[in-house]
Amino acid sequence: MPVEAPALELRGITKRFGPVVANDRVDFDLRRGEVHALLGENGAGKSTLMSILYGLYHPDEGEIRVDGDPVRVGSPARAIELGIGMVHQHFMLVPVMTVTENIVLGEEPRGRVGTLDVREGARRVRELSERYGLAVDPDALIEDVTVGAQQRAEILRALYRDARILVLDEPTAVLTAEETGELFEVLRNLRADGVAIVFISHKLGEALEIADRITVLRRGKRIDTVPAAASSEQSLARLMVGREVLLQVEKSEARPSEPVLDVRDLRVRDDRGLEAVRGVSFSVRGGEIVALAGVDGNGQNELVEAITGLRRPGSGEIRVAGREVAGAGVRATSDAGVAHIAEDRQLRGLVLPFTLAENLALRDYRSPPLSRRGLLNTGRMTSRARSLLREYDVRGGDPGTLAASLSGGNQQKVCIAREIASNPRLLVAHQPTRGLDVGAIEFVHRRLVAERDAGRGILLVSLEFEEVRSLADRILVIYEGEIVGEFPPDASEEELGVAMTGGGVSQTAA
Amino acid sequence: MTAHALAAGRALPAPRPVGWAGVALGAIAWYIALPPLLLRTPVPSLLVAAAAVAAGAYAIRADERRLGWGAVAAGVLGGLGAVVATESGESNLEDVFVWSALIAAMLRFATPLIFGALGGIVCERSGVINIGLEGMMLMGAFFGIFGADLTGSWVSGVLIGMAAGGALALVHALFSIQFRADQVVSGFAMNLLALGITGYVFIAHYGSRGTPDGIPRVPDVTLPGIEAIPFVGDAVGRASLLTWIALLLVPALALFLFRTPRGLRLRSVGEKPRAADSVGVPVIRTRYLAVIASGLLAALGGVYLSIAFLGSFSQNLTAGRGYIALAAVIFGAWRPGRALLAALLFGFSSALAQRLPTFSESTAVLFEALPYVLTLIVVAGLIGRTRPPAAIGVPYVKE
Amino acid sequence: MSQAPDRPEPPPYPGGEPGATPAARLAAYIRGGGLLVPLLTAVLAFFIAGLVMLFTGNDPFATYEAIFEGTGLQWLFPWVTGDDRTLAAVNLQQTLILTTPLILTGLAVALAFRAGLFNIGGQGQYIVGSIAAVWVGSSFAGMPAFLHILVAIAAACIAGAAWAGFAGFLKATVGAHEVISTIMLNYIALWVGVWLFSLGGPLQNDRDESLPVSNDVVEDARLPVFWGDPVLQGLHIGIFVALAAVVVFWLLLNRSTAGYEVRAVGFNPEAARYGGMSVARNYVLVMAVCGLFAGLAGALDVLGWQFRLATNDVQVSQIGFLGIAVALLGRSTASGTVAAALLFGALLSGTSQRNLDPTIFEPELASNLTLIIQGLVVLLVSADVLVLSALRRGRSLMMGRRRAEEPAK
Repeated sequence: MPVEAPALELRGITKRFGPVVANDRVDFDLRRGEVHALLGENGAGKSTLMSILYGLYHPDEGEIRVDGDPVRVGSPARAIELGIGMVHQHFMLVPVMTVTENIVLGEEPRGRVGTLDVREGARRVRELSERYGLAVDPDALIEDVTVGAQQRAEILRALYRDARILVLDEPTAVLTAEETGELFEVLRNLRADGVAIVFISHKLGEALEIADRITVLRRGKRIDTVPAAASSEQSLARLMVGREVLLQVEKSEARPSEPVLDVRDLRVRDDRGLEAVRGVSFSVRGGEIVALAGVDGNGQNELVEAITGLRRPGSGEIRVAGREVAGAGVRATSDAGVAHIAEDRQLRGLVLPFTLAENLALRDYRSPPLSRRGLLNTGRMTSRARSLLREYDVRGGDPGTLAASLSGGNQQKVCIAREIASNPRLLVAHQPTRGLDVGAIEFVHRRLVAERDAGRGILLVSLEFEEVRSLADRILVIYEGEIVGEFPPDASEEELGVAMTGGGVSQTAA
Repeated sequence: MTAHALAAGRALPAPRPVGWAGVALGAIAWYIALPPLLLRTPVPSLLVAAAAVAAGAYAIRADERRLGWGAVAAGVLGGLGAVVATESGESNLEDVFVWSALIAAMLRFATPLIFGALGGIVCERSGVINIGLEGMMLMGAFFGIFGADLTGSWVSGVLIGMAAGGALALVHALFSIQFRADQVVSGFAMNLLALGITGYVFIAHYGSRGTPDGIPRVPDVTLPGIEAIPFVGDAVGRASLLTWIALLLVPALALFLFRTPRGLRLRSVGEKPRAADSVGVPVIRTRYLAVIASGLLAALGGVYLSIAFLGSFSQNLTAGRGYIALAAVIFGAWRPGRALLAALLFGFSSALAQRLPTFSESTAVLFEALPYVLTLIVVAGLIGRTRPPAAIGVPYVKE
Repeated sequence: MSQAPDRPEPPPYPGGEPGATPAARLAAYIRGGGLLVPLLTAVLAFFIAGLVMLFTGNDPFATYEAIFEGTGLQWLFPWVTGDDRTLAAVNLQQTLILTTPLILTGLAVALAFRAGLFNIGGQGQYIVGSIAAVWVGSSFAGMPAFLHILVAIAAACIAGAAWAGFAGFLKATVGAHEVISTIMLNYIALWVGVWLFSLGGPLQNDRDESLPVSNDVVEDARLPVFWGDPVLQGLHIGIFVALAAVVVFWLLLNRSTAGYEVRAVGFNPEAARYGGMSVARNYVLVMAVCGLFAGLAGALDVLGWQFRLATNDVQVSQIGFLGIAVALLGRSTASGTVAAALLFGALLSGTSQRNLDPTIFEPELASNLTLIIQGLVVLLVSADVLVLSALRRGRSLMMGRRRAEEPAK
């Protein structure tokens, strides 16, 4: 009996970006009616591979076959023609347009005289939405609906174009646990309908839950393809990383002293005027690491901005070592002893066209010894930079090098060096290891623990479970702008996960 | 608890209509001191103006800041205008404020602005900033009349003028899209180039004599039957063909942008080009076409100036009208209908400035600055935080 | 082990890179091109303008030669002697007289660019400066010379600073785009200036009612000439003031905390805010200083060689606009601005009525040619990719290359 050709086959795909080989002779195949997970670490090559499939990149070598026929996917338009639909991690939706307009864009139903038939579009959207269980309001603006609804719109966009191969890129990164469950239901419906699904993720647990087969990529190469039923988190982790992973950083018991940060009843509004932080109270003591855990978008950004002086709170108190700083602005807050490792080092933490010496002076260029009466002392700036670069083992340049030419890890080291050098009482670390490789992450973790032992209070805001559990002495969970629970670092993933998605009984935080 | 909520809770009037009422009251305050009502005491006007300011304050407290400040400004300006009017001589006022002539002049002055604004909207909605509208307009102005002179037909003149504007726009498109230039700087370069090129060819061909008389001009179109009606006929019964075309293009463009698939795609390219690209909308090609279209439209505005309005050309004929058109685009929040209102407002101020010197010699010069002052107020005061197309000014990079 | 997702995020930043303001993009030049890039840009612009000349039947070589002869730059060549040398000296004085205000209006745009602002208002700021200078210079007849000059210059600087500062204030408070507001202020300044000196205007001169011109600047308030014959309009000391301003500009930008803030804001306003700087305050201060430079240019011209302002002068002047091309060609650096100012000063001088031989090239045409060259310079500078790409093959520009090839993985 002839075996049905796989819906999709990628053979020997190779893609280079300059000296870096993002995909190295990767094979991947996908059957109809299956969910195939694509797992891998940061930089493993998963997204590149799928971008090639969707026509966003051209492979240097290799071939693609759809239903057994070799094809060239030159552009997203071609990919759509072939029945390939992509649900991007950062949604490809226009915020100011409606759900329907976004879904039909490019294949709009036409009314008389060539105008856009919005009603027909909405009708088709409702039809698809009912068929697969993807609830959306066709007339709502994208910017007004929840993240989960946006993702459903994104999926509908692919289905509207009769996609039979669906690629989802890190779909659960922005979802709550409940929404993830809903998504998985939808995926099961689609699978039952014969749609072939690629599920890109770095989350082992989810891959095991939803996938039929799992392919692991590491450093651009395909390591193995295994059935989900025959795998475990352990086995997958080993394939992904190739070695036993050190999940815990070594640290001794914390010895906290007095509070360096006291937040009382803080309320902060976001850019759209909605309350993002709703009456938060907690404190951080010197010599301890308090981690703020939660799904992205629950008020962490606004809370950090309020504490560091970048955003005016609506009401409430923020005391740093006894001094009230709420609404006082960045300078006063900084002078009070707050340092801030920014979430986005390229947007906020660094001025890329500045030299390393200039960047390292960003906090205290105004005061001696770096300047006197308005005049900069560039010699001092350089010598101080040199010693900092050495102390933090920053590779890739000297004080005169532009920040833009450093790698991500080294850039982050520069940021950290600067913040710690200002000798703060409170160090706010906002996603300090985002986008870093394993070596850099270990460095950052070790450094944070060292600073904790030196007596500083550290507020760690992170989206990563492991990082939180590894570093924290206390864990606070934030959900929809409120602290819903405080947990010890050995709390289980379930406990934390439940709190992060709003369920369970909370213990009030200190 | 904001006044907004208070208002909603206690059935106080909603702030938006109140704000608009304030703007209207400000205009009324001024109007009642002018012909035909011609109140000679400023007191009623000041009362109305005060009401306008109060309405504005109410709107501001209810978080309708832009509209509220607009109402306050209207009240203040209306009150001032009324005071000035009551101080002026009656016969002077009656000389100046011949409303039918004012309206007709308003349309004439507004026409190039309308074309420019429509061009600006198309271009910017696709995500490309166009500071070069002034230059494209100037190209149309010169090459329009040049073409009409050479070919002896105003139709060819119009087409040649449009082509010249389109050609300049193509350069702007090339640099902004292909070479990812800074669009503001590149747009400004267009204006310099246009000034130089039109001046160069103008002098080289016509020397110091200037354009000859008798070059075929765009005809006026009379609306049959309407011209006979006393007030309306003088105001709108007769206007240049290009003026009518401009007015018709406004709803046409609005229809295109908001009701057709191509319009949807254009807007998506300006809001989030990646989203458009991911469904196969050709971002680059759309932007090129939009920029060139804006060149064609802006050039039409210039063509109107030289072939329809003046019948001649002099260096730097456009004198900043392209920038005022851009202000109309921003004022109109990138929507054709509202941009039309802005263009009419600016046109009105120019019409007024033209008539005012009939009784004041030295201040005649000062009133030349009126349109620019108005633009400044508009850009500074009322604009603030309107939302341009989200991806505007960002060159699109395909990996 | 588990990591933040690794996709390259679609950049939400203007320009496609975090904080890629115009200043940041220009930074690629400053570091990567040295003197070569501006030189290449100028050569390219002149080349294309030459093509335009060919197209209309003129001889570009003869024209450029004729222009060059009018600049007086041959005076710098030791082999030029005798009558040629004297003539060249006079021409060079004229060139330098024109260069003086160009340096300053160039700085007025350059400083703004460094802060991420596009100051097109140099012309208006220049005009208000010259108005203030001519008014103070023609009044207060009894004042001692040194003081009189100082007060006139101060008045011009304040006027220019206020004119530009207003635009900065609008940007800082309501976010009004400085391009449109400064352009409008240019036109307003123009018409106010014309009005002031027109027949019956408040600043019209007291001697002759039929002339729309201001009062003359009194003898004492005129800048002394140090090279050449004052009667034939030799070079006045204003050039030293302009050069001093360049030094101030450099020191301010590179050695002061204020300059550090300006550069930070220009490169990345978000990071500047994060570092505790007030972006709004910097915008206002920078624009004010820019206006000060442009107003100073107006003062130097009025006190140095114009001595009076007619309505025609106000309408015809282009010095402020040229400053834009000067700053862009000079990549907003101190030395670049001086070099570019000299280039354009020479171009203006060489194409002026008195210097250019009409049989080779019409002077009226030449002023438009200058406009075309300006436009080409500005256009070429706007697209750093073009001019830089040739250099990039030779050198490895770390910033540009890394950005373009950041692997998506």
